[in-house]
Amino acid sequence: MLVVLSVAIMVVDARFTLLKPVRSQMSLVLMQSYWIADLPERLYQGVASQFGSRTELAAENEKLKTENLLLQGRLQKLAALTEQNVRLRELLNSSALVNEKVEVAELIGMDPNPFTHRIIINKGERDGVVLGQPVLDARGLMGQVVELMPYTSRVLLLTDTTHSIPVQVNRNGLRAIASGTGNPERLELRHVADTADIKEGDLLVSSGLGQRFPAGYPVATVKEVIHDSGQPFAIVRAVPTAALNRSRYLLLVFSDGRSPEERAADAAQQQESLDRQAADPAAVPSATVPGAAPAATPNKAVVPATVPKPAGHSASSTPANANANSAPAPATAAPAATTPAKPATSKPSAKPAAKPAATRPATPAATPAAPREREE
Amino acid sequence: MARHAPARNGWVVWLTFAIGLLLSVSPLPQFMEIFRPLWLALLLAFWALALPHKVGMVTAWMLGLAEDVLYGTLLGQNALILTLITFLVLSLQQRLRMFPMWQQCLVLLVIFGLAQLVQLWLSALTGNRQPTLALVLPALVSALLWPWVSYGLRGLRLRLKIN
Repeated sequence: MLVVLSVAIMVVDARFTLLKPVRSQMSLVLMQSYWIADLPERLYQGVASQFGSRTELAAENEKLKTENLLLQGRLQKLAALTEQNVRLRELLNSSALVNEKVEVAELIGMDPNPFTHRIIINKGERDGVVLGQPVLDARGLMGQVVELMPYTSRVLLLTDTTHSIPVQVNRNGLRAIASGTGNPERLELRHVADTADIKEGDLLVSSGLGQRFPAGYPVATVKEVIHDSGQPFAIVRAVPTAALNRSRYLLLVFSDGRSPEERAADAAQQQESLDRQAADPAAVPSATVPGAAPAATPNKAVVPATVPKPAGHSASSTPANANANSAPAPATAAPAATTPAKPATSKPSAKPAAKPAATRPATPAATPAAPREREE
Repeated sequence: MARHAPARNGWVVWLTFAIGLLLSVSPLPQFMEIFRPLWLALLLAFWALALPHKVGMVTAWMLGLAEDVLYGTLLGQNALILTLITFLVLSLQQRLRMFPMWQQCLVLLVIFGLAQLVQLWLSALTGNRQPTLALVLPALVSALLWPWVSYGLRGLRLRLKIN
């Protein structure tokens, strides 16, 4: 009878979400055992840092200072590059890059099954982690969240045999798919043409095409490329840049929750309102509020959607309103720029709006203002 | 085995199970992960032999569920396997108790091996099949550990008069 029961709940667990609450309640208690099992390591580190000698600490401090200096230097350059990137993207009329937030999580356990590469981290549903969220370490992408529990979550690493990630060669943009091999030091690129321009030492970065991982994070470096005339494709092996089996502190990436379509819809809507302004510049003060009422209804319907969204967006909407007093032109653009996630209301208006976007260069003065609002 | 004496010190059984759960997730060096013994199965086998009126298939099933949550497998997978192990041990109970230690080891090796094979089938059904037969190794290690677990727990049981 118990056998039947086990089989039954296995099927239910595999097919439906009925047992999720049960699982999460049980995990609340049971996940403590990972924490306890991790305790000796934690204690050892605590003791080690307590008794670390003065000279060692001084040396480490020195090292960190120089490293900090180097990173600061690089950061200055990065700011300029980011700015330039935004400007170039505006020229290309493509949607703006969105800044991602990160949060530090700590590894608390490894999956006991040696054939799967999964780890357990100390941030869970209550910390705002979502399913499929990308996880990084200091050197590159590590994997994605596959199971949520209240205060912990399980992360599937890149090298698991069931995991694949779309990548591109940093040098020339060649796209490929990197699959895990079950070996923590090895990824394999599938279906790379024998003549493809890829060679040893190439850096592979995430291409963002799977819409799961953000684009542009380092994933692996190519270790060897084997051209075997008996094989239809080249065999490309790569080593993950992240220290998959050594990192203890990880970064959870919080990108905005919008899909590319929603993002495009928002951008298009913003564009539409800009175009409308450019069309009748004379009527600016009156037209922005009541005059354009029939056309502006989609906008108005969406604006309240910003209210439930926490801090970041509502904060950025205040400077936008301040702008509205001094320069009336970007006034309607700004609220549109702060409408973030709600897709349902904005979608109908998106399709017709996509075409007027081509007339963008006509309003050069207003355009730079809008995307930057979102960057902040 | 004094079956009529009042039950006491039953919490020790649960304590050993809790320790077993901890051991089954404790970090091991990479190369030893393959050899991780089936701690819960060992404990269950011992207590099912020693206290069959107390530790049975329902206990095994619940422990299996706990293990499923810990491992992130489908709920019920390990429960099924631990129930299977307990069922086999209980059905062989009368004979197993008479066997010398090495023979017990052999029988348990077969039982654990069967359980691991069922594990393989189940994980193949759920889509993450392990590539090798290396998963029979834990059964071997567990069978080799059996004498120590058995003697240790028997000493504990006699000292605390658990029944």
